[in-house]
Amino acid sequence: MIEEPYRWVEAIANRREYVEAQLAPGSPIAALGYRDGILFLTIGQTRQKIFEIYDRIAMGAIGHPGDIERLRMTAIELASTEGFTRSATDVSLRRLVHYSLSPAMKSAFEQVYGPPYLARMLFAEVGERPEEDLFLRLDYDGEIATNGATYAQARQDFAALSGTRQSRELMEAFLKTQHAADASLKAAVNFALDAWSVGHITLQTSDAKELPERSAVTKYRQEQLANMGIEAALLERDASKAIRYRSLSDKELRPLIHD
Amino acid sequence: MERSPVAFGQNFSGAAGDFPALLRSNGLLAPAAVNPVATAERPHEKTWQPTEATTILAFKFSGGVLVAGDRRATSGNTVVYDRADKVLEIDRHSIMAIAGVPATAWEMARVLEHSFQYFRRTQLQEMSVDGKVRALSKLLRDNFGFVMQGVGVVVPIFATYDPHPKPEARLYFYDAMGAQFEAADYAATGSGSPAVRGILYYENNWGAKPLQELSEDEAVSVALRALDTAAESDTSTGGVDRSGKIYPLIKIVSRKGITTLPEEKIAAVFKETVA
Repeated sequence: MIEEPYRWVEAIANRREYVEAQLAPGSPIAALGYRDGILFLTIGQTRQKIFEIYDRIAMGAIGHPGDIERLRMTAIELASTEGFTRSATDVSLRRLVHYSLSPAMKSAFEQVYGPPYLARMLFAEVGERPEEDLFLRLDYDGEIATNGATYAQARQDFAALSGTRQSRELMEAFLKTQHAADASLKAAVNFALDAWSVGHITLQTSDAKELPERSAVTKYRQEQLANMGIEAALLERDASKAIRYRSLSDKELRPLIHD
Repeated sequence: MERSPVAFGQNFSGAAGDFPALLRSNGLLAPAAVNPVATAERPHEKTWQPTEATTILAFKFSGGVLVAGDRRATSGNTVVYDRADKVLEIDRHSIMAIAGVPATAWEMARVLEHSFQYFRRTQLQEMSVDGKVRALSKLLRDNFGFVMQGVGVVVPIFATYDPHPKPEARLYFYDAMGAQFEAADYAATGSGSPAVRGILYYENNWGAKPLQELSEDEAVSVALRALDTAAESDTSTGGVDRSGKIYPLIKIVSRKGITTLPEEKIAAVFKETVA
């Protein structure tokens, strides 16, 4: 069937539709820069979704757990091998994703007789200075979006990941208006919770074009927090430590929340 | 079909969290010795020369485990380096102190450090203390083929803090084949260790108080005296270089993690109780 170009395009389009449908219910993840590093945050109650990849690199992912696990292992293997043979400072998120993960995901997606990766990932790498922080989103087809690795784009110190494009764009719109780079951890946690709520509300409606009302966001957040847990991790900009990744427990986070 | 640039096979080593296996599969680590005693067929050849020319000591005191090492690196009769660092931090709570061939020892420390991190990242849990102790044992065992060929002998000490089941500092020493021994009070390795072992045994049994009850300053004093004694008769041990102001490296493992004692502090204790 796929010998004919048209059939191949059709097969890819079908596959895209299928993967998007599988990813659509994925609970959002927000990553944002704060005064002393980068915060990763999501709300959930079942699987772990935020992971340590290397000293300065963290990953958040939605999708099928088996696929996420394979990609996570591969990323850790690549980073660890590089860190061992050269040095920890030679491990770079840009190289990891551009040269290794993205091409592999693209070919898995386009080889229509093999299974695609049902996963969408958000990576962040903390730099020595805030301007060097890299946020990078990698999609199931190998597509990469960053917070400004090129000169053509204005830099952003946040990134979002969600089940649908619309939900993710509204989270980004929300963070763009609300979030400041030098926010305290407490402020960042609250912005991230609000951004998550924006993303989660808009996942459930198919035609959300505008940000929900402020009061609706607050109310939704309170309802969700009543019966779900917060999962979060930090990449700290503390140069005295080699390993910058630190996970935060729900218990540590609750006192930081204001209504 | 074109191969993807990354081997996304089903048999990825990450599932087992075994970092040395990953390195070997990429050709980045020497293969484990399959039959390390093969050279025993030629008994007339002198194969194994124990060249652990240094002195490393560790003992438990009131504040955790103190690990100290002199700074001299030698090759035969030549002093190669007088600021060698033989007390190495492996993770937030573990120290490996090394006697033996530096190239192999430092490589081993590097593999070990990455192994613990790799395990934590892939398996999403910290490796247990027993697992860490065993990991070093396995590296030594894998290296024994080189030891039998007369190169690459390493005899380390491993000190760590174990939060489970009973929070306490723990201390292990090894032989070159990888046998591990848990030390109740103290351990020493390297060419200067016989003298040090004598001193620590004496201090522990008939000293002012047992080693485990010493304060930090008292412990530092015992460590400096022991290294100075070892250097008295062992040419490979640097001890304290009084003219060059080079002091031994002393680190402490406790519940809080690892503390490296500043040189001024060691100098002060040295001036007061040793010199």
